[in-house]
Amino acid sequence: MSGRLGLSIRHDTGFNYDGMAKASYNEARMTPRSLGTQQVQSSRVAVRPVVPLSTHVDYFGTIVTSFDVQETHPRLEVEAVSEVESWAAQLVAPLDWRELRGERLVDRFSEYLWPTARTALVDGLVDEVRGWRDRGDVHECVEAVSSFVRDEVSYVPGATSVSATAQEAWDRRKGVCQDITHVTIGLLRAMGIPARYVSGYLYPTADPVIDDVVEGQSHAWVEYFSGSWTGIDPTNAIRETQRHIIVGFGRDYDDVAPLKGIYQGPQSTQLGVVVTMRRTH
Amino acid sequence: MGVAFERDVSGAWNEMFSAPGVARPLYERLLADLNAYQPQELRQRSEQLSRTFIDRGVTFAHSGEERPFPLDLVPRILGALEWDRLSRGIAQRVRALEAFLDDVYGAGRIFDEGLMPRAVITSSPHFCRAASGVTAPNGVRITVAGIDVIRDEHGNFCVLEDNVRIPSGVSYVIENRRAMTQTFSSLFSDHRVHPVDAYPSRLFAALLAAAPRTADDPVIVVLSPGVHNAAYFEHVLLARMMGVELVEGRDLVCRSNHVYMRTTNGERAVHVIYRRVDDDWLDPLQFRPDSVIGVAGLINAARAGNVVISNGVGNGVADDKLVYTYVPEFIRFYLGEKPLLDNVETLRLEDEEARTEVLGSLADYVIKPVDGSGGKGIVIGPHATKAELRSLRKAISAAPRRYIAQRPVALSTHPTFVGDTIAPRHVDLRPFAVNDGDEVWVLPGGLTRVALGEGELIVNSSRGGGSKDTWVLNDEAVGFRGAVPPASHRPRRYPPPPRQNDEFVEPRGEQ
Repeated sequence: MSGRLGLSIRHDTGFNYDGMAKASYNEARMTPRSLGTQQVQSSRVAVRPVVPLSTHVDYFGTIVTSFDVQETHPRLEVEAVSEVESWAAQLVAPLDWRELRGERLVDRFSEYLWPTARTALVDGLVDEVRGWRDRGDVHECVEAVSSFVRDEVSYVPGATSVSATAQEAWDRRKGVCQDITHVTIGLLRAMGIPARYVSGYLYPTADPVIDDVVEGQSHAWVEYFSGSWTGIDPTNAIRETQRHIIVGFGRDYDDVAPLKGIYQGPQSTQLGVVVTMRRTH
Repeated sequence: MGVAFERDVSGAWNEMFSAPGVARPLYERLLADLNAYQPQELRQRSEQLSRTFIDRGVTFAHSGEERPFPLDLVPRILGALEWDRLSRGIAQRVRALEAFLDDVYGAGRIFDEGLMPRAVITSSPHFCRAASGVTAPNGVRITVAGIDVIRDEHGNFCVLEDNVRIPSGVSYVIENRRAMTQTFSSLFSDHRVHPVDAYPSRLFAALLAAAPRTADDPVIVVLSPGVHNAAYFEHVLLARMMGVELVEGRDLVCRSNHVYMRTTNGERAVHVIYRRVDDDWLDPLQFRPDSVIGVAGLINAARAGNVVISNGVGNGVADDKLVYTYVPEFIRFYLGEKPLLDNVETLRLEDEEARTEVLGSLADYVIKPVDGSGGKGIVIGPHATKAELRSLRKAISAAPRRYIAQRPVALSTHPTFVGDTIAPRHVDLRPFAVNDGDEVWVLPGGLTRVALGEGELIVNSSRGGGSKDTWVLNDEAVGFRGAVPPASHRPRRYPPPPRQNDEFVEPRGEQ
């Protein structure tokens, strides 16, 4: 499909405690913002127990909802609902490799060129991929890396934990979108292509039917700088489409985790993440 | 017959003597006063000084052990004119660092202008992305600065490093003066010395000026990591002298972006936190989740404008030692002024040419980690072993951003009471500046640290240093006036040391 896609997105997540929790402090990054490829018509976040919420935009430009829960509570629920209109980006002719290595550009994107603890990969792998620069322009090379990672690393839910590094996922050749994204970012940065982590939602099927309610995904993919930021989804071996709704960016997952927090109390288990999506127009 | 003064053979600038036995005019009166004492009396006074400190608990904790910070009985004197120059240079530096922090956490003009690579900041472990968007209503991030200066071989003050995170040491300035006036009151009747006791009220006023505008009657607290912190004594002293509560993380709670202090009379809102807890430990939601000395939710409370954290979070990008090399540029760029104080000549090791030069003759340089404090990790090339240099060479090659190189500077020396004689020992100076948003005020004097080992160049308390009461005279000429008979303006010779005892120590050659 092409053209504009109107989506209503509902993202539910939270924690169950083995008993009662209190003094819980949290930040949710679950609200899409208007960007070059999407317009947010409305959004709201609700938390149970009901507490006052604050909003700010963080260093990376992501909308953050922060709140604390003082009273004792057996579970914490966070719900984010947004209405977004989205369209596909045009692929723009990339900078050539020489421009990409220009001093000013390298300096401007230093944060997206250095490995983080999450994206660092062993030298052997990195050296192999570095040689691919001769195979084509930046877009073509990114596609080659993305396909390579997708071919090597199988999508296996539960194969890794949320704190896994790119290297761990690579060693197992298994992971989820977060891991496949970290590996791809690690390789692109090693090649000298600025790359950042994108957190968001993906509408699951290629041809959304109006008003069907489907189970969507909290998803992660990659943006790389080729003159402008350009999206690619290595997990699905496709470019970013209008079915990709962006919530936020970071150097890696840790900068843009959908819900992070600390609390006093017993162990907790994730309630799971449920994303429901409905095409509105 | 007074105590013996050892000759200074270090080749460094001697603060008291312009030539062997020839006191600088500023010190003539002090020298005469000291000469009036028998060695035995000086020893007694010195012991009295240390007793005062132990009685008052003026200690610092080092490696789990409480140690006194020895106060030398020979004070350091700064003249009114040189102090005026120096303090203006310090204030200028603080204004430039404020502008830099504002820019780094804001528009980033300095990067756009190409005056400094953005990568210097993004690679700094102290660049705090979580603090982006957090500012005090009056814009001040550096409420307190400690700018370390040294005097080079020619007598010029140069900045060695900037400390704008949680600089410590001002309690020694206050306690040193208190102990000296008690023990050596006669010296003070001969000199008009600028008092130092205005510091707590200046700090209090600056914290008040930073308070949220919504607070009618702002409540200020001092946040300490607790009794095991090296500077706990200082936290106690400042809280007491400012008349505010001393709290630890567990005494504070954030609720809906407001901060409250738990007291015996219930909870009380807090508006300004003079914190002596490092960024990393300040808010377990944002930084180390295992921190039990911080306050969860504090950063977002500050972002919401309900509380001010002072000094600002993320200030460490400004006192990174690589960033230090750019400070003269900051002064020109942000203030449009000429730097009043020079840096010590410093090489950036990411620069390939500089790195090759330094690695080629590592033994000629002082190498410092960019984020070290307390003298930790500093290698003085000329004093280092071959093995030390080898491992340092490896470390620099692996991570050049982590180090800077400086030419060794012979820190000035100052006569210091060591055992039975008064011998030259290397000193530095940490003046303290307080910024209330309208004015950067510099506490007259500051903390003179002295390396007590002969030839030792690292003056930090954690390395066995001591300190000196540091006097700024109200008037250059005051040493020659007053109740005592006027001394000659002519440089005069100090009488040769007594030969009939063993107190004169022969010069020991170059260090």
